[in-house]
Amino acid sequence: MKSFAAVLLLGLAGATPAMAQLSAMQPLPARAKTDPALVELGRHLFFEPRLSGDGSRSCASCHIPAYGFADGAALSRGYNGTEYFRNAPGLLSVRLKSRLMWDGRLDGNDLPTAVRDMVTEAHFMNADVRLAQERMRQIPRMMDLWRRAFGEKSEPYGPRIFVAIAEFLRTLDAGASAVDRHLRGEDVVLPLLVSEGMRLFHGKARCATCHHGPLGSDGKAHRLGVPENPAIAREPLRMITLLRHHATMGVPNYMAERSDVGTYAVSKRAEDRARFATPSLRGLRHSGPYMHNGVFSTLEDVVDFYDRGGGSESALRPLGLKPRERRALVAYLKALTGPLAVVEEPPVFDYALIPEAAR
Amino acid sequence: MRRLLSAGLFALACCWAATAAAADRAGPHGPLPPAPVPADNPMSSAKVELGRLLFWDVRLSGNGSTACVSCHLPSAGWSEHSAVSRGYPGTIHWRNSQSILNAAYFDRLFWDGAAGSLEQQAQSAAEGAVAGNGDAAMMEMRLRLVPEYVRRFRDVFGTEWPRLSHAWQALAAFQRTLVSDQRRVPFDRWQAGEAAALPEDAQRGYRLFIGKAGCNRCHDGPLFSDQRFHALGTPRLALQQTHPLLQVTARWQNLQRGVAEADYRAGDDDRGLEYVTRHPADRGKFRTPSLRELKYTAPYMHNGVFASLREVVEFFDRGGGAAPNKSPMLQPLGLSEQEKADLVAFLESLSMDVPLLMASPRLPPTQPLESGDRHAPRR
Repeated sequence: MKSFAAVLLLGLAGATPAMAQLSAMQPLPARAKTDPALVELGRHLFFEPRLSGDGSRSCASCHIPAYGFADGAALSRGYNGTEYFRNAPGLLSVRLKSRLMWDGRLDGNDLPTAVRDMVTEAHFMNADVRLAQERMRQIPRMMDLWRRAFGEKSEPYGPRIFVAIAEFLRTLDAGASAVDRHLRGEDVVLPLLVSEGMRLFHGKARCATCHHGPLGSDGKAHRLGVPENPAIAREPLRMITLLRHHATMGVPNYMAERSDVGTYAVSKRAEDRARFATPSLRGLRHSGPYMHNGVFSTLEDVVDFYDRGGGSESALRPLGLKPRERRALVAYLKALTGPLAVVEEPPVFDYALIPEAAR
Repeated sequence: MRRLLSAGLFALACCWAATAAAADRAGPHGPLPPAPVPADNPMSSAKVELGRLLFWDVRLSGNGSTACVSCHLPSAGWSEHSAVSRGYPGTIHWRNSQSILNAAYFDRLFWDGAAGSLEQQAQSAAEGAVAGNGDAAMMEMRLRLVPEYVRRFRDVFGTEWPRLSHAWQALAAFQRTLVSDQRRVPFDRWQAGEAAALPEDAQRGYRLFIGKAGCNRCHDGPLFSDQRFHALGTPRLALQQTHPLLQVTARWQNLQRGVAEADYRAGDDDRGLEYVTRHPADRGKFRTPSLRELKYTAPYMHNGVFASLREVVEFFDRGGGAAPNKSPMLQPLGLSEQEKADLVAFLESLSMDVPLLMASPRLPPTQPLESGDRHAPRR
């Protein structure tokens, strides 16, 4: 946590010439090595609603494959009886993220722990892990997959559930786009507007200052002054999850807050208020609406926002883009989306009795 | 109307306070004395009324589906008619939902006595994964976005914002008003001198109860419970062999209560008091339930295995079942058919002649928070 706070301090350093060299989109790396049996178990668990408290919500409820594993809504729905206060981020190439969650509170190198948070968090899946593990024990076909992954004598165990789902997540690579092939030096001719957008992205529009690397993210948190999503003040169920999140994170005087404090909830440093982690730019065609609160429906809205220099108390400056330049940037952002891998939703296996002899 | 009803209940509770002395004179099975009230949670009509609202409020659960009343239905004797409780959605509970009528008199709550007060019981039930599955911080924040609750909690507890611990106190206060009305209980009326209040068969049943059948060795006092724990060898519930989710819950209960892995994987027995004391000699012991209001609270036993009082009497007549720590007090009784029928008649006379019912209150709505009080918190 301390080191993360230190990283945040550096977060808004301007782009020096030396950094500019590094601050560029990079092609997606090769696929990660994964264990096929663990991935197959993880795929089933990812779609398994009985991991949630009331058996109704799976990971895939808010991370839908067709939306690049986002959910297509401005604000995520969350658990039954709750409404969440942030946008569900897509999961394409999530294994490359250094920090997770919009406030960056989780370590991207520890995906199983992030999965645990999602499964147990009251506004996501609200599960008791031990109850979830015993439910899995009661599904014979899930146990077949389990024992293929963990060994013939293995019994369900919460942390291993998270390990299996994390292994599945590590396979969710964003498809390589024409831009990736171009970046790898292949002989690809990009459409003129895309090429123009790429130059602007790395130049006049200064997007690459924060959006660089294979994901197009520096993994740090910044204050942009993104407008409030009015649904949060209007819909009390969203204010409940917002304030409850602040309360559980230990935000001082949390009942006086009415909007998302972002990374401040993690660091408690005043300068981190309303800072949010730079999102990945992979799969943007599928994963709208955009920003931590889903306030922009289209990439055009997003580019217009940056062109204005962001919102109030923003660290951004106006860009003075011409209409064609804005179109070019949007074309480039869209061109970063490669083909979406088809992930098949497995059937839901039935519970069955465990006979005395099999215990 | 709502206020009238709760004020009435409260007055009723106070009225019993006045008859406390009479209760002492009435012998071991006299009418109930006034319900004990803990010093740190004094009664008030406003608190009882708040507790009544919360008792019905589904926001005190994980997904907004399950209130206290979901498993403690007034129309089912403030319990449920199923053998084991329905539990939280996606689960089934593994024990019979106990009536909360007269729960005020128990020193310890739950079949295994895991809770030491009604306040603690309310919290355990609302947060338990197979009961309410509520997250404490979430439930508390839900209360805070109900303006009427903000007002009521402030009036009763003096806090700026509702606190969850106060919700449990209000619920406990409400439950302390849910007690049998002795003026409607045939046995109590008979004890008070109204000779015609108890039919002949029930009178014979009472003599058996305190004589040949010896029921009163455990079911004594005005509550008809010694508040102690006994192993009876109650049969297993057939559902345990047919309901996959009940197997899940049994394993989970044993796992989370600290039973070793090899044991919880292999078995699904409810170890009762042993969970609390960690003493193997307490395995399979459950707290003696009250016999009051039995007419409305079927089925019976910790796992609801007996559907009728007749079955319960047959079980004790056999001397109970088989269990490692079975109480030596249980011996075959050799009751005749007539005697069994008389015992059932007596047991039924411990219930009010009409059930204590209560209408669902209209719950106050969740509303957006006022803005602009960021720098001026309300006093």
